[in-house]
Amino acid sequence: MDMHAALSLGLPLGIGVAAIGSGIGLGLIGQGAMQAIGRQPEATGKIQLAMIIIAALAEALTIYAFVTMFLLQGKI
Amino acid sequence: MGLEFLARVRNTSTWLGGVMALMAATVVTPMLGLAFADGVLWSLVNLQLLERIVVPLTGPARGTPQATRSIASGLVGMLFLFAAGGMLLVLLPPAALVAGFVTPLAVIVVKAGTQILLGSRAWRAIVSHRWRSGFAALALATVTWFALGALTNAGGQPAGKPPGTTVSEQTHGAPPADAHGATRAEPTGEASQDASEHESGPKGFTNIIALVTSAFPHAPWAHFLEHYEVLVFSLLVALLLMFVAHRASRAPQLVPSGLQNGVEMVVEGLSEFIISIIGPKNGPRFVPFLGTLFIYILSMNLFGLIPFMHSPTSSLNVTVALALTVFVYVQYIGFKELGPLGWLDHMLGNPRDLTGWLLAPLMLPIHILGELAKPISLSCRLFGNIFGEDMLLVAFATLGITMLPFKQLPFGIPLHAIFFPLALLGSALQALVFTVLSSIYILLMLPHEHHDEHGQEGDAQHAH
Repeated sequence: MDMHAALSLGLPLGIGVAAIGSGIGLGLIGQGAMQAIGRQPEATGKIQLAMIIIAALAEALTIYAFVTMFLLQGKI
Repeated sequence: MGLEFLARVRNTSTWLGGVMALMAATVVTPMLGLAFADGVLWSLVNLQLLERIVVPLTGPARGTPQATRSIASGLVGMLFLFAAGGMLLVLLPPAALVAGFVTPLAVIVVKAGTQILLGSRAWRAIVSHRWRSGFAALALATVTWFALGALTNAGGQPAGKPPGTTVSEQTHGAPPADAHGATRAEPTGEASQDASEHESGPKGFTNIIALVTSAFPHAPWAHFLEHYEVLVFSLLVALLLMFVAHRASRAPQLVPSGLQNGVEMVVEGLSEFIISIIGPKNGPRFVPFLGTLFIYILSMNLFGLIPFMHSPTSSLNVTVALALTVFVYVQYIGFKELGPLGWLDHMLGNPRDLTGWLLAPLMLPIHILGELAKPISLSCRLFGNIFGEDMLLVAFATLGITMLPFKQLPFGIPLHAIFFPLALLGSALQALVFTVLSSIYILLMLPHEHHDEHGQEGDAQHAH
């Protein structure tokens, strides 16, 4: 397997794996936030803010994989 | 089938032609879109002039001087119209022009056909029963499928390769045709290298600077514009925002209305939001910086959704510049608020006891790395999200163009329209995230309630 084949196989796969991870993370974050809002609807604003921040942190990991893909795509 | 019908035809063809021409211009080549739009416009003007001639001839006002004048003006207009049509046929790609010309006629035929069909007894017989109508729909879909396939095999092959799709370029194996290469969103020198050199990623929508560059391929200022494309667009956004702000605050009134009202609403909302994060004591000082950041980033994100525009934030250069601004500002705040010794103390992890001092050599590199990771993560997140959104739209627009067999004609389904809400949401969310994270970085640098926030910073560093 030469480098081109390895890259063209690995890049989409890498994004997929990263997306699985951050998907699980985002799901957990959303679940936690929804439960918290359900328990304490008055704190919706604060919870949503924290949720968005942590969701952005979790989502950033997929974005890193995405950026890596675009950096390496020229080499395929 | 009266004038009201014609008005409806006009509306439909205007919308249809506008959307199609826009898609062709932004996704395929600008010339194609222009030709299509011109064709539609020509046909619509033609219809209008025909109406001017036919209505006085057949209407109740027959023979009056007014009617005669109307007919004469219609005839003269026709003369000019045909001259213009001949000129357009020479100047622009004829296939797209003819396609645009046929569009209103096709709209007439389809509208009339549906009107006749909807009133007929056969239609009522089909619709009246559930199974019968389902079967009819299925048959229609099958026929459409096979017809499209036949059309693809028959007419789609010769030279019908839209730029931007590497698949068709690979199957044809030839470099892009000259007619396309000249109008493509790049200088001709690069177009010839396309076959040998691999493109890095799919191309974006055609934007206004690419148009200018293709119009003046040899002018040095056009190359300058193309090279600093994102800068030009971000400056454009900044100028736009400055203009709006100037207009809104030019003559401030005690009871605001209109633009001033809207801008005040935005500013108040942002101010409240940022103060709720940083705190009422220190918050108001940072509202101008963070609020500007939010509005600027949001506008830049949304700018790419306007046809012929380009999101500056879908380039890493702009986002790195923004993130570095935040980084420098945060360090400056730290130096100013804590003093050099206090800043060093913060970097050492606030050692107060023996364990703290023992851990301090370990904490220093961790803190420095954490500080350096902040701009990287901020810029990459913004860039990746906006760039990804743009690429998603481009991919689906290209799919909408290429899935139809008429590859040289600018017919396409605006498939990417379903992702506009997602793009709007993502743009707003990323601007919000950038602002919130920036304000949290500032908050972490401020002296008070330091220990409460430390756990959060640890979390943030783990995620990087």
